[in-house]
Amino acid sequence: MLGKEKIPAIRNLNFEIPSSTLVAISGPSGSGKSTLLNLLGLIEPVQEGSLMFQEEQINRMNETRKNEIRKNEIGFIFQQFHLMPVLTAEENIRYFLSKQKRSKNEIDERTDEALQLVGLWEHRKKKPSELSGGQKQRVAIARAIAKKPQVLIADEPTASLDQKTGREIMEILARMGSVILTTHDPMVQSFATIHYHLVDGQLAGIG
Amino acid sequence: MWLSIAYRNLFRNLRRTIAILMTVGIGSGALFAFSGFINGILNEYRETTIHSHYGYGQIHTKGYRDTAFEDPTKHWVADWPYLSLFLANQKNVKEVFPRASFSALLKKGNTTVSGHGEGIEGEREADFFSSLNIEEGETLRDQPRGILLGKGLAAALNVHPGDSVTVIATSARSILNDQKFTVTGIFHTGNANFDKGVFRIPLKEAQKLLKTNHIESVSLGLYQLSDWEGIAKEIQERFPNLEATAFDELDKIYYKHSVDWLNAQFGVVLCIILGIVLLGIFNSVSSSILERKQEIGNLRANGESVLEVMRLIIAEGTLLAFFGSVIGITVSYVFLMGFINGALEMPPGPGQTRQFLVTFSFTWPIVLKTIAYNTFTALIASFLAGIKIARMPIAKALRSS
Repeated sequence: MLGKEKIPAIRNLNFEIPSSTLVAISGPSGSGKSTLLNLLGLIEPVQEGSLMFQEEQINRMNETRKNEIRKNEIGFIFQQFHLMPVLTAEENIRYFLSKQKRSKNEIDERTDEALQLVGLWEHRKKKPSELSGGQKQRVAIARAIAKKPQVLIADEPTASLDQKTGREIMEILARMGSVILTTHDPMVQSFATIHYHLVDGQLAGIG
Repeated sequence: MWLSIAYRNLFRNLRRTIAILMTVGIGSGALFAFSGFINGILNEYRETTIHSHYGYGQIHTKGYRDTAFEDPTKHWVADWPYLSLFLANQKNVKEVFPRASFSALLKKGNTTVSGHGEGIEGEREADFFSSLNIEEGETLRDQPRGILLGKGLAAALNVHPGDSVTVIATSARSILNDQKFTVTGIFHTGNANFDKGVFRIPLKEAQKLLKTNHIESVSLGLYQLSDWEGIAKEIQERFPNLEATAFDELDKIYYKHSVDWLNAQFGVVLCIILGIVLLGIFNSVSSSILERKQEIGNLRANGESVLEVMRLIIAEGTLLAFFGSVIGITVSYVFLMGFINGALEMPPGPGQTRQFLVTFSFTWPIVLKTIAYNTFTALIASFLAGIKIARMPIAKALRSS
């Protein structure tokens, strides 16, 4: 909404994202890429049109089902990391795993595995305030991948990081199966299997 | 783990946490002190009522208390020896005090005043009715023809211990009888109406004056207050023509109304204090949550329901209230016991003539109630503060600064 005027953020967009691909969505500010990512992550309601997650129509899902999918099937990685500051790196991962009602052994295994994968095993007892930006983003990735989701959704995951750290993060994400991310960065786009470019809420190019 | 997070969140902004702990602490400390004070007054009232006049309760013939009779003595307890035997075998009954009360005139020289006489077994009552303050002379024990006068009555007759007073009463057969008594002592209870009308003489002398061998009532001394219900039930079952009435019912005007009045007063103060606590916690939790919109958005994005987020927010508020209450109660207790020895001298209450000392009476139920009141208030405050943010659209929460 802009004042009383209703302006669609996404228009005439029709595409399918196959599994095990890294999809990059780019576009200038206000092009609708974050809105699209939010729709795909089930954190913004679909007002018109149709959106499917696997075989399910998202428009028709109730909030409980959406919570279930977000809890178990989708992993989020945000530009601002959004780690819980009172928890250590390890606890940040464990917390969301505990919400999946997994056994303690499984939680331990998955936490250790994710921390090792992002190279943060020795920093696992540190709180976010004791970690660098790159390390925080790695924790955020570890938190997302430990859930073993069907899809990882990342909103400009390297925007707060320097080029070197950003590349390291992308190397990790590229190994993660289905990933959908937004970016302005050509380096990030170079990792993508599919690249959608949006302008004014419409698909302006596919790469 | 959510409880652990709620606990750790309390230390994110220590200054704010200390401020809210102080708000809750002052509120709960005040509430705790006031509860102890009211409880102390109630205890004082109860003990005074029991030990100055009524005992834990009294036994009369059924309907006697509610009816005016031309000749009340005809409706007194006739079979006192049997009732006495029954009561002596009740393990919860510590002592029994048979009595006969009557209206009479008291004469000293040319002065005649009306009074309300009580025939009692002085020796038996002397120790139990310890709240009867003897201002002059000594209490009535086994002095033959001794009379104990209320302070106001003694002043009206201008008598002192050792003086003679003539008591004139109408017997059961409507014959005027009189008897001379020697003043043994002058008492006051602090209740002006009681003190200016009541006198006590030995039960046997009262029965002689009234020409009866019946007794009007039996007051009971028990080991503890809670024994009353059981013994009253036993009496009711065994003696269908008698009724047992608890002291608070017997002294409805003074005791029961005082208790109701104090409880109502407590209710008002409770509402004010909890209102302050509610606003304090609401304010603190609101600012804390506003700073954490993105974090809450992240929790929701990762599948936490509104209820789960609210649980975390409410747990934080409740923990604050719990710790604040414990601190407040502890400080309040230490202050009251350490600085004023747990007691406060109070001016005379309504209808009273003397000051009285209120001992703060703290019990575990008061501690638990204080914590529960504050915790429940915190629960409501946290709910009100948190629900809007918890229900905020996830994308909007994540975008907020």
